[in-house]
Amino acid sequence: MSVNVKLISRAVVVIASVFAVFTSTAHERFILPSHTLLSGEAPQSITVLASISNDIFHPDRPLGDSGSGRDVGELKEYFANLEYTVIAPDGKVSLDTQWAAYSRMSVADVTLAHEGTYRVGLVQPDVFMTTFVNAEGQPARLWGPSPEIPAGATKVVRRTTASRVETFVTLNSATHQAIAPTGTGVEIVSKTTHPNDLFANETAQFQLLFNGKPLTTNTKVKLIKAGTRHRNDRDEQILDVTKNGDISFTPSQAGFYLLIAETHVDAPDAADIDVKHFSLYLTLEVFPE
Amino acid sequence: MKNNATKLMVRLQIALLLLIGLLMTPTWLQAQEFTVSVEIPDIKAAPYHKPYVAIWIETPQRQGVHTLAFWRQQADWFKDLRQWWRKIGRSGSPDYQAVSGATRKPGVYSIHWDGRLGTGSMLPAGDYVLHVESVREQGSREYLRQTFSYPSNKQEQLVLEGKQELGTVTLLIK
Repeated sequence: MSVNVKLISRAVVVIASVFAVFTSTAHERFILPSHTLLSGEAPQSITVLASISNDIFHPDRPLGDSGSGRDVGELKEYFANLEYTVIAPDGKVSLDTQWAAYSRMSVADVTLAHEGTYRVGLVQPDVFMTTFVNAEGQPARLWGPSPEIPAGATKVVRRTTASRVETFVTLNSATHQAIAPTGTGVEIVSKTTHPNDLFANETAQFQLLFNGKPLTTNTKVKLIKAGTRHRNDRDEQILDVTKNGDISFTPSQAGFYLLIAETHVDAPDAADIDVKHFSLYLTLEVFPE
Repeated sequence: MKNNATKLMVRLQIALLLLIGLLMTPTWLQAQEFTVSVEIPDIKAAPYHKPYVAIWIETPQRQGVHTLAFWRQQADWFKDLRQWWRKIGRSGSPDYQAVSGATRKPGVYSIHWDGRLGTGSMLPAGDYVLHVESVREQGSREYLRQTFSYPSNKQEQLVLEGKQELGTVTLLIK
């Protein structure tokens, strides 16, 4: 009897943690590259780490696996739907980067065979989620495109969430083709600032796009410096978005930063979905002057 | 027809005036030269790696103009001269190959420059910023800057004091 109770409570914990992973307001996620800036005449490799974690750049759970990592249990299906993208300096998209999950993080090697700027990403296409308030008055969620909503449920909202978890890495010349918008989800465009040319006390300026068009409304953009675990104040900086989708910030310190931009759109009346959520988790490295 | 001939005459006169103007330009305007003296301090460290050093000139708008010296070993570490790398090194513009050489041991080094750019033309008159950057493996990095005007109508000496990875840096324009 007590064994059963234990099993059940354990199952509840697992399910709850899976739920938390997928909610639009849930855990942060990031890619942390070993290097963002490289020089040299020969091709070079970098190692990237990815994690779902609220401690910025301290990993907590793995994010991504191409089949060679550990058993990730309930995350397996989610990882199978991720696109493991690397966009080369010439704009060519590769989907064959091999990610391996470990207990607390996922890792991959990315080879920079050519000069220029690469974009390394984990792209999550729409994941279906329905939120509601159950008959007991408690908030609840269900996954999948057509969940069975329990009787007595109220405030039923059918949603999808999609995200891009990305960073940029440059070997020698800083180029722009890999930064060019793909036209899907939330992205940044480099206007005056190249994302691999960020320095403390210099203003960085980017434009936010959603599905290729300036992202101006229904958006929240925040910037968090690395190392939240080692300070008391989380210090999330909320960035203003101009009517052209422009954002700017002037980091006072060097280090890694996570830029998070979220938006949502109401689905057309006839659709099976009420609202679609989109987010960008972009890792940027700032160097000392 | 007559009209065209008049136009041609006017053009010739203008060209002649321009030529005379060029010839009459005071020679000191063109003849100023630069001497940068850089001290690599003797740092007691084990292991001690000789620093990568770049000395270059930019416009106040941070356009790379000319590299006076670039002392380095392996290309993999060029990026650690962060400011030089972003403004000149990684794009190879302007070209710095002619002034690139091996890292140097502690001491005082003088670099002489006649103001001639890699393109062959002379440094145009204007305001500039001298940059000196030094970075040492298992050591620190130092980055110094000094604005100056060129040409200067007199001999000018500007002195910078490094704190750690650079000693005294002197820019002499005469």
